[in-house]
Amino acid sequence: MSKKIKISIALLIILVFIVVGFMTFMENKIEYVDFKEAQKRMKTVEVKGVWVKDKESKYDGAANTFTFYMKDDNNTEMKVILDGAKPNNFDVAEMVVAKGKVKDGDFMAKDILTKCPSKYEGTGQQVKSTNKN
Amino acid sequence: MLGKLLIYVAFISSIISMLSFFMTHLGKKELMKYGRIFYHITSVSVICASIFLLYLILSHQFQYAYVWSESNTELQLPLLISTFYAGQEGSFLLWTLFTAIIGIFLLNYVSKGDRLEPQVMAVYNLVLAFLTLILILKTPFNYVWEAFPKEVEMGFIPPEGRGLNPLLQNFWMSIHPPTLFIGFSSLAVPFAFAIATLMKNKYNEWITFSLPWLLFSGGVLGVGIMMGGYWAYGVLGWGGYWGWDPVENSSLIPWIITVAAIHTMLVQKKTGGYKKTNLILSILAFLLVLYSTFLTRSGILGNSSVHSFVDPGAIVYLVLVLFISSFVIIAVLAIILRLKELRAFRKEQSGFFTKETFIFIGALALCASALVVTVGTSWPLISKGTVEPEFYNRMNLPVAIILMLFMGLSIFLEWTHTEKNKFLMNISLPVILSVAGLIILIFIGLRDPIFIILTFVSLFAFFINLLIVIRIIKSKKSTFGGALAHIGIAMFFLGIIGSGKYSEEVNLNLELNKPVEAFNYKFTYVGAEPFMDANNKSDTMYHFNVKVEKDNKEMMLSPIMYYSKFSNGVLKNPDIANFVSKDLYISPMGYEEPKLFSDNQVYELKKNDKIQAGELSIEFLDFDFGNIQKGGPEMASGNYTIGAKLKVTDGKNSEFITPKLKYENGEPTYIPETMNSNPVYEFYFKNMSVKNDNEGGSVATIAVVNLNDIKNGSRKDETLIASVSVKPFIWVLWTGVMILGLGFFISIIRRRKELLKKNKNPEKIIKPK
Repeated sequence: MSKKIKISIALLIILVFIVVGFMTFMENKIEYVDFKEAQKRMKTVEVKGVWVKDKESKYDGAANTFTFYMKDDNNTEMKVILDGAKPNNFDVAEMVVAKGKVKDGDFMAKDILTKCPSKYEGTGQQVKSTNKN
Repeated sequence: MLGKLLIYVAFISSIISMLSFFMTHLGKKELMKYGRIFYHITSVSVICASIFLLYLILSHQFQYAYVWSESNTELQLPLLISTFYAGQEGSFLLWTLFTAIIGIFLLNYVSKGDRLEPQVMAVYNLVLAFLTLILILKTPFNYVWEAFPKEVEMGFIPPEGRGLNPLLQNFWMSIHPPTLFIGFSSLAVPFAFAIATLMKNKYNEWITFSLPWLLFSGGVLGVGIMMGGYWAYGVLGWGGYWGWDPVENSSLIPWIITVAAIHTMLVQKKTGGYKKTNLILSILAFLLVLYSTFLTRSGILGNSSVHSFVDPGAIVYLVLVLFISSFVIIAVLAIILRLKELRAFRKEQSGFFTKETFIFIGALALCASALVVTVGTSWPLISKGTVEPEFYNRMNLPVAIILMLFMGLSIFLEWTHTEKNKFLMNISLPVILSVAGLIILIFIGLRDPIFIILTFVSLFAFFINLLIVIRIIKSKKSTFGGALAHIGIAMFFLGIIGSGKYSEEVNLNLELNKPVEAFNYKFTYVGAEPFMDANNKSDTMYHFNVKVEKDNKEMMLSPIMYYSKFSNGVLKNPDIANFVSKDLYISPMGYEEPKLFSDNQVYELKKNDKIQAGELSIEFLDFDFGNIQKGGPEMASGNYTIGAKLKVTDGKNSEFITPKLKYENGEPTYIPETMNSNPVYEFYFKNMSVKNDNEGGSVATIAVVNLNDIKNGSRKDETLIASVSVKPFIWVLWTGVMILGLGFFISIIRRRKELLKKNKNPEKIIKPK
């Protein structure tokens, strides 16, 4: 093989890789949106918000779903049905990020991330109140 | 004070040491000894600061904010030690500590003979200067009143610490983070050698110096990353060992580049090629460590990872940015200044069927994989959003196939010219074995075409390297480290195929003592058993015992759930049974209390309300307080019995009955009643509630249960909800990781020996024909 052919083959492979990579990437990227926007879109999105604690939340063992109400940054509320059990640290989370899509007016979540910084950072009040058990 | 002082000393002396070495490089040879002395001052200060922090933790000095925040008096020794690096400040100190210790060995090595000492140590000191600067800004030695100046008065000593997050209370916490940090720290060495060699304008020797270090980083980092995978799989119950989470990815990227660099360095050793590639990869590996640190520590990925991030504050953010940009600038500058010399490296093209070309293709595939992971992981920085794990899986699949194929084929290729017939003979046995293996696996259930290809090339890579290992051992040599590592990675891929592509999962509702079938096993939940963990005296944990039966054999799996006061929620740990062909994995999802009656059997009635329930007509007449006073001291004490007077009619007969509710220490027990004439119904007084509406008055909650329904199974006992999955051949993956680590270790020994020998007779470079 001449050098020219070799280089062209190599370039071709790299080009294919980049094109396929780009297409796969566009297919699999998930955007952060609010609930209003999520309702308009058909594909998987992520919504950031807080758990509305005074509304009902429950785990359904038969279906293995955890249902709760969530309020996004623009105060839009929606029922979220998570495929799975209540996530770790859900109760102390300051903020949750739900990944999924809207179906029949409910947000069907595949995954939920919980964010609980304050608990881990600690506060002066906590310093004063830590006592022996 | 002492801790902070030591860090300041370390910072200042690292700068003095760096300047001394740099001046030495510029020609002031007399300054070299100061460089060495001040390096030792730096390393000793860092070591002392670390010992001091450990002492503070072990002696529970909660007046230090870090000790208060991360530990408590309950933790047992191994976990107590691990709180050293449970928080940001401590983990930076651990990184600094390992860097300082590795530097002692490095200095000892480079100070003997002409080994780029001034240049290497100047660069290395700069790394330490940055790390200690971060420790000055983010110190683990703050008192609580310094950390919370407005809220806590000076001199206050908290009696107890907050303790370690129960998610981290685990054996792997003791070894996973330190292993990763050793890997991260050690990558500063090849970086320093690369920059040093550019400064010195000499491009051959540094390879031999760097290679053992790169192997060390590659082995330690690789094993460290997969320890995290095992932690997630076996303890945290994330189901899998790898989720393409940004934190996982960010440690994977430098590892991939390290592995690529190891291979291209071997080429340079043999043929003198890839001089530029080696410089760039060695530099890149460390820059990616810094990038990884930035991603995971700056709080920038806060919304896209399962790991908890703490925003470290604007100053630390700035220093991290400064840290990376300084080293990027240094690297780019060093390369630009030597562009003329680097461009001059042109070597004769070697043929396609040579080891050199195949290794290069492999390295290229690794870099492609690293690029994919980097783009996906960095995406949240560029745009508001993340990337699905599917992106990584799909993109890395073809890369894995190329890797395994070229890894297998390259083994019997020569460096410059390969004899065709000899090559074909050599690969025939592995090909036959792989085909045989593939047929068996297809018979078992391997279906997907692309996975059939990956399985085939992985089997091929496995057998061909096995063959080489056997040959080398027979010839009584010990140069099989590389081939062993290849066997490990081939097994690793085979394990991924089995457990990733062919795992199955079902969700089971396991009612107490009622067997449920799944995957040809019979699962019976036999009850929960409380236990205490020595590290956690504040929570009672429960083993949820599940009897697993198949073919008259039985075993007990005991996943764990408990309410954690620290997390203010339920935490869960899976349990796993290991078989030769698969893992059986039980992950608890939830627990339901026994239910005496379902929702449609319950009625709320005010006084004189009358309802129809099936054929029954029920009227609530009044409460029966017996001889206690409504709202009196007995009721306040939580020990009393009340009743609900009902008039029940079933069409034929009418009866007056009073089901009762008995409270003991606030815990209710029901005393049901039946109709004498129609004993098929049971009447329960569930509770009394006071409604504050206009009509006033209290409400009685009554439940009516048809005993025939209970026989039909309407009444539910306590129920464990668990996700049960089978993960075929996952042990192959873990064994592969161990073999991979062992391969690295054997290679390190070999390259170290070479390094020591080399000083006597320099290695010959093969010139291509």
